[in-house]
Amino acid sequence: MKKYFRELSVAGALGILLIVLAILAPSFYSPQPLLSLAARASVSLVVALGMALVIIAREIDISVGSMFAVCSVCAGLFAAMHWPLALVIVASILVGAVFGAFNGALVAGLGLPSIVVTLATMVTWQEGLRWLRQGEFVNLPDGMQWFGLSQRLGQWTLVIGSIALLILLALAMKHLSIGRFIYAVGSDAEVARLSGIPPKFTTFLIFVFMGALVGLAAIMNIVQSPQVDPQSGNGLELKVIAAVVVGGVSISGGRGNLWGVFAGLLLLACISPALTHLHIEAYWEKAIQGVIILLAVVAEGLRSRKALDHG
Amino acid sequence: MNAKQPTWKKNLFRHEAILLVVLIAEWIFFDAIGRNFGTYDNSCDILRHSCEIGLLALAMTPIILTGGIDLSVGSLLGLCAILFGKFWRDAHLPIPVAALCTLGVGALAGGLNAALITRLRLPPLIVTLGTFSLFRGLAEAITQGVDTFTNFPNSFLFLGQERWLGIPAQAPIFIGAVIFFWLLVHQTTYGRTFRALGFAPEGVRFAGIPVERRIAMTYVLAGIISAIAAIIYTARLGQAKADAGNGYELYAITAVVLGGTSIFGGTGSVHGTLLGVAAIAVLQSGIVHALQPSEMAGMLTGALLILALTSSVLPKMISGLRARKSALKLSKPIA
Amino acid sequence: MKRFLSYFCSLAVAASMIGCGKNSEAPAAGGNQTSKPAGKKLTVALLPKSKGNAYFISCQKGAQKAAGELGDELIFDGPTGTDPAKQNEIVENWITLGVDVIAAACENKEGISTALRKAQSKGIKVITYDADALPDARSFFVNQATPQGIGYTLMDQAAQLCSSNAEFAIITASLTAANQQEWQKFIEEDRAKNYPNMKLVAVKPCDDLKDKAQSETTALLSTYPNLKLVMAICSPGVPGAAEAVKQAGKTGQVKVIGLGLPNENKIYVHGGVTQAVVLWNTMDLGYLTVQAADALARGTLKPGDTSFKAGSQTYEIQGDNIMLGKPFVFTKDNIDQFDF
Repeated sequence: MKKYFRELSVAGALGILLIVLAILAPSFYSPQPLLSLAARASVSLVVALGMALVIIAREIDISVGSMFAVCSVCAGLFAAMHWPLALVIVASILVGAVFGAFNGALVAGLGLPSIVVTLATMVTWQEGLRWLRQGEFVNLPDGMQWFGLSQRLGQWTLVIGSIALLILLALAMKHLSIGRFIYAVGSDAEVARLSGIPPKFTTFLIFVFMGALVGLAAIMNIVQSPQVDPQSGNGLELKVIAAVVVGGVSISGGRGNLWGVFAGLLLLACISPALTHLHIEAYWEKAIQGVIILLAVVAEGLRSRKALDHG
Repeated sequence: MNAKQPTWKKNLFRHEAILLVVLIAEWIFFDAIGRNFGTYDNSCDILRHSCEIGLLALAMTPIILTGGIDLSVGSLLGLCAILFGKFWRDAHLPIPVAALCTLGVGALAGGLNAALITRLRLPPLIVTLGTFSLFRGLAEAITQGVDTFTNFPNSFLFLGQERWLGIPAQAPIFIGAVIFFWLLVHQTTYGRTFRALGFAPEGVRFAGIPVERRIAMTYVLAGIISAIAAIIYTARLGQAKADAGNGYELYAITAVVLGGTSIFGGTGSVHGTLLGVAAIAVLQSGIVHALQPSEMAGMLTGALLILALTSSVLPKMISGLRARKSALKLSKPIA
Repeated sequence: MKRFLSYFCSLAVAASMIGCGKNSEAPAAGGNQTSKPAGKKLTVALLPKSKGNAYFISCQKGAQKAAGELGDELIFDGPTGTDPAKQNEIVENWITLGVDVIAAACENKEGISTALRKAQSKGIKVITYDADALPDARSFFVNQATPQGIGYTLMDQAAQLCSSNAEFAIITASLTAANQQEWQKFIEEDRAKNYPNMKLVAVKPCDDLKDKAQSETTALLSTYPNLKLVMAICSPGVPGAAEAVKQAGKTGQVKVIGLGLPNENKIYVHGGVTQAVVLWNTMDLGYLTVQAADALARGTLKPGDTSFKAGSQTYEIQGDNIMLGKPFVFTKDNIDQFDF
């Protein structure tokens, strides 16, 4: 219980928010809008899961927003060329994985700091995409939306798919050795290396995996509407890092679990619709987000201080 | 590189020296292909445009040297800009008094970062990520997104737009900040601990130096500098809005890292940061003068950053490979 | 360390001497001349609010056509991010570059005027299009539709589609966008004057992101069950809002109108989700802007003129506003005739 205090407190905060909404704004719980909200949040959840792994491994990736935009546009263009849906999905994931590999090669291979590498790649891909597309939307062919299924079925597919991914990854992190490697590398790379764990290879794989997840998330996003906006993904990195941190993953690596990230993501994703339903003006959104992040990190600091005192 | 190498050769391969060469090459290149690039007017413009980011980068240098980071400087610039406007327009304070109050706000905001980071021992990246949202959010909330402050008196706008004794009016402030930070980081015993803190904070603590206070001072300084930058920005634009300084923190970090300061702390210099700011500013101006699309400036900045990082790591890798090779040669196989 | 400093200083001194030695070549417009002789090639610099915006790309197409016809050089460049100071920096770079005339769509009215006034003082002509600067910073404003015209047209369309006491919501770009703020002012003015029983329940920003417009509209639809119309006054917002209405199953129950490009909205207009898209011919706007810019620089367009001929059409000038015409309403019947 004490071990999961952080995650439980986030879940608690989420719970309080949901209860407040149930009392003051029950319209929040209408099924169709809630499903739409969940479908949109599932996209961010997939990216957040990848980011959690990256941060647990003591790295960071702020280029996910730009990667997301590039994968979305690529996938849209492939679909517009009438490639079969399965091929489009695979291609998008591959494109993401290639970008992730680029980041990983620089970080793991050359030992460069991940924050600066991903800062550089973020700016480069973002500007490059802007230059090439000039803001033009990509029109998707019919039958692409919702994977060709009905809207409800499509939305449920996205939601259930992302939760299934969450469960799979959470189990993998606990039981598979690769999962333990990631925690080890995040805690102390040198000790991990001495224990026979390959830190560089693990780090490289994590970035590739991050890229692949971004590619998957991009597909999940573009099937939700008939056009692709090349600006999509703007601000995604901040949203996702905030969710991961609020969810109890320590920025110094080696600690955290994916269920906390799930709670953190839901909490932050609910702020904007909650403001609308509670008739609070939109310009409070950033300030509230900032306060939540600070509260989360203060809670994290207090927790680790307590652990130091006791341990 | 072993110690027996002559000093000039060592200096030649230092990161800052290479960056200086890159900067000069940039200048010559854009002078050749750009229209009216290498003129005095344009040089003044480049200086004027890079003042605010230059100030932020200067303030960011001690922070990164100590192994920290501050993502909130751009948002703080926006908050200070609108508060400056509010002090002047709504509280009817004269401009100098409003400016002083804004500096106070900047110091307080920097103090918030400092308190969370040093008192509660929280990681700077996440604390400043939170204050990044918080400060921008406060700026938007106070103005309700729509309020802007304009019609400042001409005597104030002189600071951002006119020339004083032939150089842009904000240049003396910037040069003053450069001298201040250079002396602080490189010459004072106080500032020399910054690099030590980046390398080994515990060692510094054993030497009897108040670690928390030093680190806190870097964040408070950054807050004050953000406020100064906000005032100059408002004078330059003639307008203060809640979205002022959007994206400036990333620019500042890019300039600092480009200049050779390690993001992990411990190594770096103020003149390196200055060169980094100059390299980016010249690139941006050059791209427009060469009639190329602005996106190219962003892409080249990203590429330049990667090249700079790679080049700083390569010598170590090569010497590491050499050392391993010679170690293999010397070691005898176990019988 | 000391050695390095001395290198640095000497190089800095050398560089500044090179810079000082070369004074600015007289900008092509000339400090003393006020107009160029006909037949000389001019440099026209076109500034959008931001690059990567399909609206301004379509303006650029029209602009390029005009530049080609006139034999002028067209520079098209603008901010790629959200930094409000970037427009000023680009204009100032153009001043030192030495362009003949600048045509700007202003993101920050007061802020950009600082830079535009400087351009004028150096002999560069300035006109604005799409979004005006302060009147003393430019000679003319190519007005595609007055903010009043846009605001009133939107409100009138909304009133036509709903009952007299309906609730409606607005999706705007960002809270700080000056153009949108002005339109909102006139929407409110029209509403208060002519449709006092219609109620504006919320204004939500979408930060020019289609996806965000979609999520905001979804939330609005469930918060306000009596919502009858969504008005999206930024172009990515219109398809975003329409998709949200469609996914909520409220096509036809909740009307969608907005300011947007026809190509992005064709599917929704044909699907009956979006009833009307208000805009103007952006290519004509770009064309007229460059024609006017060229004429201004050559002296054929002077303050006090009451009409201006560009290509085959004559445009009215009201004061210092060159009127493109009235806002155009794209509906199911005519949207297919346009491709931008």
